[in-house]
Amino acid sequence: MSTQTLSPTVERSAAANRFRGLWTQENIATMVVSLIVGAAVIVPLGVLFVSSFLVLDPLGWDTVWGFGNYVTLFTDRVIPKAFLNTLLVSSGCTVLATLLGVSLAWINARTNCPLRDYLEPFNLIPFFLSPFVGAIAWYNLASPQTGMLNVLARDWFGVETYLFNVSNLWGVIWVTGIFFAPLVYLFVVGSLRRMDPSLEDSARTTGAGLFRTTMTVTLPLVMPGILSGAIIVFVTSAGEFGVPFKLSAPYGWQTLTTQIFSKAVGDDANHYLGAAMSMALGIITVFLIWVQQRYIAPRSFTTVTGKGFRPNVLDLGKWRWVALGYTIAYIMVSVVLPIFCLFMVSLHPVWQGAIDWDGLTFINYERTLFFWQETSIDAATNGIINSFYLAFGGASIAMALALVVSYMIHRTKGYGSRLLDFLCVVPIGFPGIVLAMGVLVTYIQTPIYATLWILLLGYITRFFPYGQRNISSIMLAISEELDQSSRMAGASWFQTMWRITIPLLKPGIFAGWILLFVIFLRELSISIILYTTGTETLSVGVYYLSNFEGEPLTAALAMAQTVVLLLCLYIFRRIAGKEALTA
Amino acid sequence: MATHDDSNYLEVKNLVKWFGNDRAVDDISFTIPRGAFLTLLGPSGCGKTTTLMSIAGLHSIDGGSIRVGDVIYTSPEEGLFLAPEKRDIGMVFQSYAIWPHMTVTQNVAYPLEIRKLPKDEIDDRVAATLKLVGLTDMADKMATQLSGGQQQRASLARAIVSKPLLLLFDEPLSNLDLKLREAMRVELKRIQHEVGITSVYVTHDQSEALVMSDEIIVMSKGTIEQRGGPRDIYARPVNRYVSNFIGVANLLDGRVAKAANGGLGMVEVSHNGARIDVTCQISDGLEEGSETVLSVRPENVHAIRENEGGNCLEGEVIEAVFLGSYVDCRVKWGEFEWKVIAHPRDRLRKGEKVFLKLDPDHSLAVRP
Repeated sequence: MSTQTLSPTVERSAAANRFRGLWTQENIATMVVSLIVGAAVIVPLGVLFVSSFLVLDPLGWDTVWGFGNYVTLFTDRVIPKAFLNTLLVSSGCTVLATLLGVSLAWINARTNCPLRDYLEPFNLIPFFLSPFVGAIAWYNLASPQTGMLNVLARDWFGVETYLFNVSNLWGVIWVTGIFFAPLVYLFVVGSLRRMDPSLEDSARTTGAGLFRTTMTVTLPLVMPGILSGAIIVFVTSAGEFGVPFKLSAPYGWQTLTTQIFSKAVGDDANHYLGAAMSMALGIITVFLIWVQQRYIAPRSFTTVTGKGFRPNVLDLGKWRWVALGYTIAYIMVSVVLPIFCLFMVSLHPVWQGAIDWDGLTFINYERTLFFWQETSIDAATNGIINSFYLAFGGASIAMALALVVSYMIHRTKGYGSRLLDFLCVVPIGFPGIVLAMGVLVTYIQTPIYATLWILLLGYITRFFPYGQRNISSIMLAISEELDQSSRMAGASWFQTMWRITIPLLKPGIFAGWILLFVIFLRELSISIILYTTGTETLSVGVYYLSNFEGEPLTAALAMAQTVVLLLCLYIFRRIAGKEALTA
Repeated sequence: MATHDDSNYLEVKNLVKWFGNDRAVDDISFTIPRGAFLTLLGPSGCGKTTTLMSIAGLHSIDGGSIRVGDVIYTSPEEGLFLAPEKRDIGMVFQSYAIWPHMTVTQNVAYPLEIRKLPKDEIDDRVAATLKLVGLTDMADKMATQLSGGQQQRASLARAIVSKPLLLLFDEPLSNLDLKLREAMRVELKRIQHEVGITSVYVTHDQSEALVMSDEIIVMSKGTIEQRGGPRDIYARPVNRYVSNFIGVANLLDGRVAKAANGGLGMVEVSHNGARIDVTCQISDGLEEGSETVLSVRPENVHAIRENEGGNCLEGEVIEAVFLGSYVDCRVKWGEFEWKVIAHPRDRLRKGEKVFLKLDPDHSLAVRP
């Protein structure tokens, strides 16, 4: 380079340069994204907090500031019981899901149970399906009068009344427990698989028996994974709306989420009381997530060394058939039976508990899916179309955000990156229904209310951290030098992102996109708060049919949703591979 | 505006870089002439990589300035910071940083594509560069199919293909096995010489530095300890740190008994009861009576059977390891163990009494 071309660089005034130094592509992208994420996450939660102190007068005309809503939480006729019910359901669900998840993971990762490689993906299917649909299926399987299993028991075994009854809190625990077991499974199976076998072998050489080794070495090493999984399950089930709404609320067992829902919409709507309830639920879940992130996740001992360990496999002898039976039984109750039941119900014009082989019809599918037909139900067909818009748009926008946010967190240093990291954990701590209340009270008087945009905003805010995690795990594994060498080769930050970083992250971006697509396609607890006529989603459609039409129509739409979700699961496994979701 | 001749082509002036409360680089300055190969040598944490990254622009600096030719890379006092992509630097990273989603050719062509060169010219230059580094046969392979040594070559090709102002190397050989590393040293130096691009090389491996460099800067704790040619640094270290870090040396505390102006002086050494006056070279700046460290390389300590008087001391062989062409010995003198390299013909045995003669011309009194 010659002197002439470069002298202007030097002669430019110092102040102008200092200012100019801030306006790099990198800094602009960081600022814009931080502002968006910050506003999306903080504003609704702030407004939720503030409005929980607004007390509606008895006539519903005016509000005053005060702690009245929080007092009501304790003095109301229903709310304190709903609160206890939530704690009961979440605790029960956590125990069940943890027992199932840990035992299934152990059987799969560390025993010679037959067919375990083939059964593995089936263990994870409930993770991709909608628990609300699971509740509908189990309602049709085991409600006292028309439950398929109870009818069978009456017809075949002469049972007087019924065998099973899921229309109560135990039913909620049962359905959430089997549907959230994969969460624990995913947290545990990774550390079981990647555990250095010499850790256990060295315990055995000191004379410790199998039982003792398991108790003193294996279990403590997996414990952080188990605890993390258990906390996530507790928080998820506390925020679960669909299952208690279908199974327990109609029979008098309210939970916090069903109560928040009734305060958000309906005749006795009181957004401010709903906000206070949301705050109460949110404080519990945020605290638990904080404990998990701060104290439990960092204690995970199993570090990925990059060495391909072949974990010790226990020979179960004859018991391996018991293990196989156990695994198959889980898959039966969580996947096969519910889907079979839904399918059968969906083929009947009217469901009375028994299969009528002569009267099968596809009329329910026509009325829920064929939006061009006169007889189709708007709530269902709108829901399908809207959910596909939301899932496509939401997953794409959220992944774009997640990409830049991950980059900021892992490739830049300083307060900005730590703040973003924090902002990405916050939404995970708040159940969807809580965040949705925040979004509702914040935007109810803006033009985006009653449009799909408010749903999109809620979805992305609540779930983009899931996509961010998918990208981050890959970003941590690829060397920063790959980016730096592109900069040194003369490429700008944006060129580097486009030609190096994004292509390298492609698998993570795809996997994250599909995961979000699945989550958005089955989303209920945010949608139920934010939808209005015309902006129903798929799950809201199912809710509508379940509430105002019969079980067969409900089952038809639920089946359609399930088929799409199963397809997504298949694609996800193909792209992301076996270890993708494990912690 | 000042013009710069080739003798100070790269100039780092009063460079300061903080990491939190740590001064990673503490006010260092150096220049190198055009075409030279400079090595920054030191243990991890000495600031050598930070210095390199500052030149590259991969992080900002807190003080001083960096200039190459007439381009000022950065100067916080003037508010100047040239983005890394505008510095026209080729860099070879420790992990090679070969992009796994591209072929070798795509990797090497990348800097030229970014510079929007015509297609024909890109093809020609990539082919020529691949030939230079010996990867012509690998041109269409995916980067992930290359061995470590080949990735290294591809990385070098990518760094030099755009004929940058400066080449930076960040411990490029540390991931290779010993044999390959030794071969690549020579190869790297040959290619650098051929393309003639001024280079700054960072390593903690002293033999790498000695083999490859025109000049070496020895660093510790963010400052420069010594700068010089490889022979110079080896033969005339200025202080205890450098003589310890480069090669092996017997180091004894002492006091200058007789200073010298360029000639031989005298140092009093005492070590737990054993004491001796040694005639030796005295480093510049050491006054009579000042504290000093006597530094004698093992190959300059001669084990002999008879006392020859001056610079001779008596000790007992406590270890003699036969290594083929030489014998690695330890000789105990008082509480001090001398490292001595003896000829196998001398047949030193464990437990034997010997005299050690310190070569006055190659014994050096250095700063503590």
